[in-house]
Amino acid sequence: MTFSLNEAETMARKAARGAGYGWGLSEDAGKAVRWLCSQGFDGCAALAALLPASDGKNLFRLSPRVDRQPWTAADGAGLCPIHTGAALADRAHALPDTGQRLGLIRQPLLLLPFVAQVAAQRGSTMTLSCLSVQCVTNGERTSMTGSCGDIWPEARVVPGGTVGAPTPLLHRASPDPEVWAVLARFAHRTYAPATDESRARGAGSDLSDND
Amino acid sequence: MSAAAQSIPRRAPAQVMRLSRLGSFHQCRLSFMRILTRRMAGEGWTFTRPEFQIDDQGVGHAVYSATGPERSYSLVAFAHDLPDEQRSDRVIAEAWDATFALFDGVPTSEDIARLSRNVPLQEAGRVSESELTLSRANRSVRLWDHVVARLASGQQPDPEMIDSVGYLMRTTAVYGSGKFGAADRERIADRPEMQAPFQAEMLTVYLIRTFVRDLVTHMARVTGGAAAVPLDPGLARQLGIGNSTGLGMAPFIVNHPVLFNNWIMVREEALARVRSIETAQADEIDVFLDRLSRTEISVARWTSAHPLQIEKLAHLRADLVTLRHHLKDAPLQGPSPWERLVVWSETALSEEGQELIVSLILEPYAALVDGLSHCMADDDHAFAIDGAMPVDQARSLLRRAFGWALNIDWTARENCARAWYVSEEKLEPRLGERFDEPVAPYEQPLAPARDAAQAFADLADWPDDTPIAAFLTDHPEHRHTLRRAQLFRRAPYGEIRDNTIGASVLPIDMLRAKLSFFGATHFDPRSDRWVRICMYAGAPYPEDLRPETADAWVYPEAPP
Repeated sequence: MTFSLNEAETMARKAARGAGYGWGLSEDAGKAVRWLCSQGFDGCAALAALLPASDGKNLFRLSPRVDRQPWTAADGAGLCPIHTGAALADRAHALPDTGQRLGLIRQPLLLLPFVAQVAAQRGSTMTLSCLSVQCVTNGERTSMTGSCGDIWPEARVVPGGTVGAPTPLLHRASPDPEVWAVLARFAHRTYAPATDESRARGAGSDLSDND
Repeated sequence: MSAAAQSIPRRAPAQVMRLSRLGSFHQCRLSFMRILTRRMAGEGWTFTRPEFQIDDQGVGHAVYSATGPERSYSLVAFAHDLPDEQRSDRVIAEAWDATFALFDGVPTSEDIARLSRNVPLQEAGRVSESELTLSRANRSVRLWDHVVARLASGQQPDPEMIDSVGYLMRTTAVYGSGKFGAADRERIADRPEMQAPFQAEMLTVYLIRTFVRDLVTHMARVTGGAAAVPLDPGLARQLGIGNSTGLGMAPFIVNHPVLFNNWIMVREEALARVRSIETAQADEIDVFLDRLSRTEISVARWTSAHPLQIEKLAHLRADLVTLRHHLKDAPLQGPSPWERLVVWSETALSEEGQELIVSLILEPYAALVDGLSHCMADDDHAFAIDGAMPVDQARSLLRRAFGWALNIDWTARENCARAWYVSEEKLEPRLGERFDEPVAPYEQPLAPARDAAQAFADLADWPDDTPIAAFLTDHPEHRHTLRRAQLFRRAPYGEIRDNTIGASVLPIDMLRAKLSFFGATHFDPRSDRWVRICMYAGAPYPEDLRPETADAWVYPEAPP
């Protein structure tokens, strides 16, 4: 079964919120997953792998300490790519020409949409790399050599690079049902359990519809 | 018309974006239904009914295709035999009298078979990227039974019954934009006929109305046999499609600040252009007076059982009398007639009346107004935060967008009595009592003013020249609010300037603001958070849709 990109974004946003991210960062997570799906990457799987690892943690300790080089997290589990990506995108024009080095980071694929935002804001390509894995994006098209995997010991985000054979642009998301179920489980936490009162009062009134 | 360079500015957001005013908006030339019917007529769209396989019990399916210059769109309609006890307009319903999908193109028999397994289930089914909308409708039992019985016995229905109800069926949801598997907005946004907002949804309802007329005629023929007569075209034209709208729509205008801004700003721009006209020509005055007379008929037919709307209608009716007296004393032939009328209305009329004047004075000026419909979409989706923005500039944006809210005591019960949440049961937005129900942990970000006040307070100790990126690293909880504040730079009408979680908030004001842009009429609140409306009443059916009939149909003709 395929999903619309709107469904993927909405599910990702709710799932991130359900895992404890603030609304703003949850919106970023939703847009990130949507962008990844549209670029032919399995954004849903990356988020579904990230959230169980973030769940219950002090998210602040997974966000980058931006006054250090490289950026690292206080928590030994490594950087959260949503927090790190948002910090990068917010500094799109402040990044040095030599780029930004990052320490241990989980689900690095989720960084890519933020690197794409940086590229779009700067009007130039950006390269995200770790060892032999290299992603180049101009914001709209992306090429990747190798695959991102679950964790990188370090990463670099550097201005420049040339987009090679780009990934296909897709307009549907095709997540694995188990991945979707993980996201749905987190999203479910954002729903308030129904009570008799909410049924009666929350949505309308008890006037008849047979008129 | 003679228009000097535009001299009158748009009304200020502080005046326009109050909930009570938004809750007094009326349809106008820029309403999405009128944009659609003007386009279809202007481009000579053709309409066919390739299938109508409905049995004697009223069960089956039908297909209605609409073809424009480049593409076709088809309504696939399923008619059901719904027992009365299952008929509910609430979103928690699980069965309906009729269900629909708008297919992108002309469906094959395989498509129809696939849709027949999914569309009747609505939210519990799945549609695909070949579908643009998913919808359902219930009968107005009293009018449906009356019309079938009368037609079956060879008589026409009672016009007063038709007046008092207004529709044979009302939709209870029209889902688009990728919901339940349908195509994303991005798939159709660059098509000229889909560029304006909600055109797929408006086309769906337009075709539903035709199907409903055909279905009632069919049922009368089944019941009455040779004695049955078809529905008189004049009576049929008066029938619209009802819509019953609950809270699901209210968060939309908060969650889409740029889109909502574009609707409001375009209407305000149209108003400013017309107010700037120095003299009105005789034919322009005639159009205004004609629409005014027909509005008087429409308002006379507008009924509501809700105390708040009854009071607003009383004011509106008094306003119409006041306006007639005023036009005798201050004829429109003088200088700057529309500007004088608007300024007069701001002290002489209620907000219902003031906003009616806004809609009416746009009517004579198609050339000035209609082209603005191209500016009502938001397909840009700006999302990135400008992290280099200095803290003092972010503070200034918060003050401009939310200045009214910064000194409110947001801890006082009456100021935060409500909380918006999504219920587990049907995944739909609801409004709860924060201090009486356990909903606060599930609160949705639908109180931008309160959140802005909190962000503003937390910014207090930050140096003016610090980039906002640094603040957001320390305060990720304000990321949503700072993104909104930056959007305000290009969306000055994007923020409601009232408390959306206060003890006295009326969600129906938010519903009406949105529905007025659809082009809805006869708002009839059923509670403070649920409203019924009518769509397309008076509109020509496909066989009568021509440029002459495509636009002013929303204003009823005087009875002969």
